[in-house]
Formats: sequence, C-alpha cells, structure tokens
Amino acid sequence: MKITVDTGSCVSSGQCVLLAPETFDQNEDDGTVVLLSAEPSAGEEDAVRQAELTCPAAAIRLAGS
Amino acid sequence: MTTTEETPRLPFDRANALEIAPDYEVLRRRAPVTRVLTPAGDPAWLVTSYEAAKEVFRDRRFGRSHPAPEQASRISYAAVQDGPSGDFENEEREHKRMRRMLAPAFSAPRMRALGDHIAELTDRCLDDLQAARDANPGEPVDLTDFLAFPLPVLVICELLGVPYADREHFRGLSERIALMNGGEDAQAAMAEFMAYMTKLADAKRADPQADVISDMVAVQADDPTFTDEDLARMGAGLLFAGHETTSTRIAMGTLFLLSDPSRRDRFAADPEGQVDQTVEEILRLTATSGTGLLRYAHEDVEIAGTRIARGDAVLISSDSANRDASVFTDPDEFDPGRTPNVHLAFGTGAHVCIGANLARTELRTVFPKLFRRFPGLRLTVGIDEIPVRVNRVAGGVDRVPVEW
Repeated sequence: MKITVDTGSCVSSGQCVLLAPETFDQNEDDGTVVLLSAEPSAGEEDAVRQAELTCPAAAIRLAGS
Repeated sequence: MTTTEETPRLPFDRANALEIAPDYEVLRRRAPVTRVLTPAGDPAWLVTSYEAAKEVFRDRRFGRSHPAPEQASRISYAAVQDGPSGDFENEEREHKRMRRMLAPAFSAPRMRALGDHIAELTDRCLDDLQAARDANPGEPVDLTDFLAFPLPVLVICELLGVPYADREHFRGLSERIALMNGGEDAQAAMAEFMAYMTKLADAKRADPQADVISDMVAVQADDPTFTDEDLARMGAGLLFAGHETTSTRIAMGTLFLLSDPSRRDRFAADPEGQVDQTVEEILRLTATSGTGLLRYAHEDVEIAGTRIARGDAVLISSDSANRDASVFTDPDEFDPGRTPNVHLAFGTGAHVCIGANLARTELRTVFPKLFRRFPGLRLTVGIDEIPVRVNRVAGGVDRVPVEW
C-alpha cells in the first residue's frame, strides 16, 4: 500500500491522525496533514483505509493493496 | 409528517430517542432530495440519501451565507441554524481564516495530549455520580446531571479559557438560543451570549493565557477585518457547540448501550477493545437535530437530478444519510462491529466539524470508564419514557435516569 496526500485540498480536520497516528500527523501551524510514512505498517493498514474514506477533503489517496 | 402529501413539514415525529422518524426512509425511497417546508414554514430542499448528502457537504457552491439574506428561507425561530449567516462576498475567505486560526487548537495531537486530563475529569464526574447515589440510596440518579453535561463543559471551558463557574449562565443562554420557537428571546439571549464573550475577550487581551479565546484575540490584533462581533459570535458558537453536542452523544450513547442488557454486557466485557468502533456506531445512530444542517446554494446546482436554484435553502439530514441502506447494511441495527463505518455525523467537506477530534477523544474516554466502574448500570425507566427534546436545535434528551 502506497499513500499520497494532497496538502492543498486538506482542510486540517485531523481525523486521519486520530485514526492512524503512526502514519499521519498534523502541521503545528495550520493543522494540515503531514505524512509520517508513505507505507503503513501492517497493523495500521485498516486504519489507513478508514482514514482515506473518512477524510472530509478526499485528500488521501491509496495505491496498491 | 404534519402537512400535505406534496410538501412535508419538518420536524418529523419519531417514536423514541433511539429511532429516527420513519418519514426519512419513505422520502429517500422516492428521491434523494425532496422539497419540504422548514419548521418556520418556508420552502427548502431536504437531502436524505448518503451520496447526495456527501455531495452537498463537499460542493463549494453551497455555503452558510445567502446572496440576498432578507429573501432567504428561514429554518426556525432559534438564534442558531435559523437562517443565513456571514457575508456572501467574503464567506470563503472568512471561513478559511477561521479554520486556520482554530485548527491547531483542535488538532489530533493536542487532543491526544489532553487525553489524560479528560480521563481525570471523567473520574471526578463518576465520583460525583457515586456520591449522588450514596446520598439517596434506592433513588435513581440522572446521568446527565453528573456526567453527560458537566464533562464536556469542563473540557470546553479549559480549552477555550471560559470560567467553569459561569456554567449555569451560559447553560441558560445555550438553551435559549437553540429553542426553535425562541423568537425575540432567542435573539436577546444571543446578544447576551455575545456580550459575555466580548467581556471575556477583553480580559484575555489584558492577560493572555494558553487558550483558544486568547488565540483569537491574538489573531485579531493582526487582522482588523476580524471584528469584535465576529470574535464574539465565533466564541459563543464554539462554547455552545462544544458542550451541547458532546453532551447529547454521551447521553444517547449510554441509552444505546443500556437499552439492551446483552449489548451492555458485551461492551462491559472489553470496553477498551471495543470503544473506538462503539463510539463510531453511537455517532452514526445518534439523531439530534430535527432539521439537518443548513446550506444555501450560491449558484444554480444540480444534485442527483434535481435542480437547486441560487439562493435555495438546503437541509442535509445526516440522521437520514447515516441510515441509508445502500451504504449501511441493516441500517437501524446497532452494530459495533460495523467496518468501515464512514458516517456523516460530523459532516464532511470544508465545513466538517472542527471539534470532531475533541468529541472522539471525550467519547472514547467516557464509555470505558463508565462501564468499568458501573458494569451493572441500568435504566430505571423504559426508553419510551425518556422524552426527546424536539424543540431544540441540538436535540437530545432531558434525562437519563440510572441505577446500579
């Protein structure tokens, strides 16, 4: 699984960070998404999928299975 | 539905606190978007399907302002979600400024850091619940008085920098601004609420603290277009939303878990392992508002085959969208094992609830603590005997009488 994020469309909701804290973080200044790891650990893959679906700005993209 | 077949009028009647009105499903089966009358009697579009709700939430051609506010459909005679708000020309700029200002304070890392403190506050609330029980053994205790109301208030007060000692004052104001038929009194309460926030902002200006009102005051010092009135309205809105909504979710979540003893026992057997998904299911099923969230079309838009004209009011029913059978199997069933559970309880798109991380952090803390401490908690009345507050913008219930 390969993750990309679009910081331009991110609305800083931070919901991805609460769901998958090892993969996503938030910029301290404006709250936009920071990708900690483009390839999530096996334990966080489900959470990352949920984050992709939950993202209010559709700013998270997943490629591969 | 209380009016003619052609134009149903909101709010619809529901059987009890845990259900939503059957009218939503009837309407959704006919079309994802329906012409309705608001509680104030004005025309609006009601969005009942999940896909259409998501589409409207994410479409920037809908906003909270109106091109000609005096002609806009009114929703109710409350002082929140009652009609257009903000300036049509500058809405997007002002909204971005607001999000940029508040996003760091409500970020997930900040909420995680607040987690331990929320846990301590929860323990204190549960001590008070036990003390109330000990003071009157054999009598039911109202969970709203000792947990559902005070906990979110304690947390939002600290976050915003509002004195907890003022809670009865702003509780009263919050109730008055959200009464659907409040009229002049709702407006008077809103004016009082804003005056209260203005006074608080003055105090923060003189003596800034590590809190959101101080952050807002600091932003204002660099941005003269962010007026005292903007600040007061935003502060009042945050204080209102920060306690009313979470309070309702704690009360309703408890009702969901207690209304079926096997459901309670299953959760109490492993609260920490089940809480994240249980909270999502509580969020999905909790119906709060009888109207849905308000938007106005900023230009002519077609949604799911329906043409919505510039200026038309659109009410997005997350309550209905969250029970759309095309997305959620057995949508009326409480199923904490549901995955994925991509509900619209916080909305989505640019206006998504800024307090979502705060709410989730509070709810994920409360339920394990409540059921670790009181695994045999039970309701002392049937679910049908708990009245729903239909006349309030944030909905909710008046009481949750329990014993153990």
